[in-house]
Amino acid sequence: MAWTHRQRVLAAINHEEPDRVAIDLAAAGATGITIDAYDALKAHLGLEHESVLMSKLNQLAQPDETVLEKFGVDTRPIMARGRRGGTGRWVDELTYIDHFGVTFKSTVGTADKHFLYKDGPLCGGELTIDRIDEMEWPDPEDPLMAEGIKERVASYKAQGDYCLVFNVPDQVIHRAYGLRGMESFLMDLFKAPEAACYLMDRLVDYNIKASEAMIREAGPENVDVIFFGEDLGTQNGCMFDPNVTYAKLIKPRHERIIQTLKSLTGGKSLFHCCGSAYLFIEHLIDIGVDILNPVQVAAKNMEPERLKAEFGDRMAFWGGINTQQTLPQGTSEEVAAETRHVIDVLGKGGGYVLNAVHNIQPEVPPENIVAMYNTGLSHRYLVPA
Amino acid sequence: MSVAEIYEAVLDYDDEAVPELVNAELEANTDLKIILDDGMIAALDDIGARFSEGTLFVPEMLMAAQAVQAGMDILRPLLVESGAKPVGTVVIGTVKGDLHDIGKNLVGMLLEGASFEVVDLGVDVDAETFISAAQKNEADLVAISGLLTTSMPEIESAVATIAEANKSRNLNVKVMVGGPPVNNDFATRIGADGYGESAPAAVERARNLVAA
Repeated sequence: MAWTHRQRVLAAINHEEPDRVAIDLAAAGATGITIDAYDALKAHLGLEHESVLMSKLNQLAQPDETVLEKFGVDTRPIMARGRRGGTGRWVDELTYIDHFGVTFKSTVGTADKHFLYKDGPLCGGELTIDRIDEMEWPDPEDPLMAEGIKERVASYKAQGDYCLVFNVPDQVIHRAYGLRGMESFLMDLFKAPEAACYLMDRLVDYNIKASEAMIREAGPENVDVIFFGEDLGTQNGCMFDPNVTYAKLIKPRHERIIQTLKSLTGGKSLFHCCGSAYLFIEHLIDIGVDILNPVQVAAKNMEPERLKAEFGDRMAFWGGINTQQTLPQGTSEEVAAETRHVIDVLGKGGGYVLNAVHNIQPEVPPENIVAMYNTGLSHRYLVPA
Repeated sequence: MSVAEIYEAVLDYDDEAVPELVNAELEANTDLKIILDDGMIAALDDIGARFSEGTLFVPEMLMAAQAVQAGMDILRPLLVESGAKPVGTVVIGTVKGDLHDIGKNLVGMLLEGASFEVVDLGVDVDAETFISAAQKNEADLVAISGLLTTSMPEIESAVATIAEANKSRNLNVKVMVGGPPVNNDFATRIGADGYGESAPAAVERARNLVAA
C-alpha cells in the first residue's frame, strides 16, 4: 500500500509505524524556518523563486511547494495571516503595535531580526479586573483572521492528501506576558490571582472564538492536528511550579481550549512547550494533549530515551533535532547521525514526527537542513515479511 | 523582634513587611551589616538554593528579589553614608542583537540583593557601551547575557573586545556570560572569566570573582 502524507502522520500520532518517519516543515508557527535560513537553503538548492514571509514579526518564511515536496513534507498549515492575524500598525521599521495594543520591537545589524514584545496596555501598576475590561480588545471574529483559509485548504486538498495542522491564532500566558510584561504577570499569578485568572479566561475565550471562526472556514473535518501551546519550561527547569501554579491556575485554561477544539474537529492536540517540559508532561496528557513539540532535547531531562521510556505509550513527539547545538554548530554528518538516532529512539513503534527543535534559526547551514530532511526521507520502518 | 523576621518576610515574598521590619531594626540600632547579611542576603541565598534544586521557580525568585529590593531602598543610602563599600560593581546587559531580558533582569535583581552595585544597560548592548559603562562606574565585573544561538558570536566578540580593552585601554574588569545557549565549555573557549548555569549560580560566581 502506498501511504498518503496524512495517513503517515496520523499513524505516527496513533503510535503505529508508517512506511517512513513522518516529516514536518512549517505546518505550525513554531516548526518553521527563518527567512535568512530559507534564503540560504534556496541558494544551496539552486532554487530561484521569490521568498514569502509567513510572519514578519517572527521573520519566518512560508516555504515554497517545491521545497516542501523536495523534503517529503507530510503536513500543511491552516493559519491566520501573519500567524496571529488581526490588524496592527507599523510605527517605524523596527516597531509594530499589534491588534492587542502590544508593542513589538526589533533591532538592526545582527543575524536575529525577529520582534519581541516590549510594552503593552496592562504594563505597570496593579493588575485589576477593571483594567482588563477597560482595555480595548480585538474582535476574535475579525474577518481578516480567517481570510483565505477556505481557499488554501481547498488548494492543499487538490494537491494531495496532507495532514492539515490548525494553528490556534494566539496564546494565553504568552499573550498575558505581552499585555502585562513577563515578570509582572508571573508575579500577578501570586499577588493578584483573581485578576490574573480573569485575564487568562478572557484570552481563552478570545482564542476559542477566533479558532471557531477560522475552523468554520477550513471545515472542521479537515483539521487533523490542533497546534497550541506556550513555554512552561526553562533551559534547566520549570518556569513555575508544575504541580501548583500550573496545575491550579493555568492548566484548566489550557484544558478548555484543547478540549473545545478537539471536540469541534476530532483533531489531535499538538502542544508546544519550549525548555524542560519534562515535569509538565503528565499534566499535558491529563488535559488531552496527544503530541509534544518542540522536544527541546538540550534542556534538562529532555533526552529522547527518557521521554520515550516514560511517556512513549501515551505521548507522541514532534521536533527533537537539536537547534541549540547540532543544527547550527555540527557538521552535516553529525546532523544525519543525530537525526537517525532521534528517529530510532522517539520513532520506535511510531509516535514521532521529524522536525527541528523550534524554527530553524538564521545561522543553520543549508547542508545541515538538507542532511536532516534527507535522513528522514530515506528512513524506512522495517515492514514485516 | 529580630533580623530572623526579615529573613522570614523575604521567604514570604512580603515586600510590605520587609521595609517595615528593616525600619524597626534600624530604630533598635541593629547593625546595618547584620540586617543586610543575616536578614536579606541570607534569605535570598536560601531562595536561590531552593530555585537551584527545583523546589522554587521564577515567580517566587522575582517576588523574593522584589521584597529584598524594598528593604535595600532603605538600607542603600545608609550604607553609602556609613562608607560601606558594595561587594562589587557589575555592569550587566543583554548582548547586541538580542532583546531578551528576563534572565538578565533576574541576575541583576539577585546581584543587587546580594549587595552588589548593579548598572543595568538593558538590551541590545554593544561592546563599546559595556566598556565605557565599566570605565565610568569603575566596575569589577561585566555580565553579558543572550538567549539566542545567534547571539553567541556576538557574546564571543564582546568578550574579546573587552579583553583587548583590559590590555590597552586602562580597564580592569572580569567578564561573566550567561543565557540558555551558553555553557561552561563555551565560556571557557571564548575566554570569559565566569559562567552561571542559573541566576543564583551567577551570583555565586560573581562573589568568587570579586573576591579573587
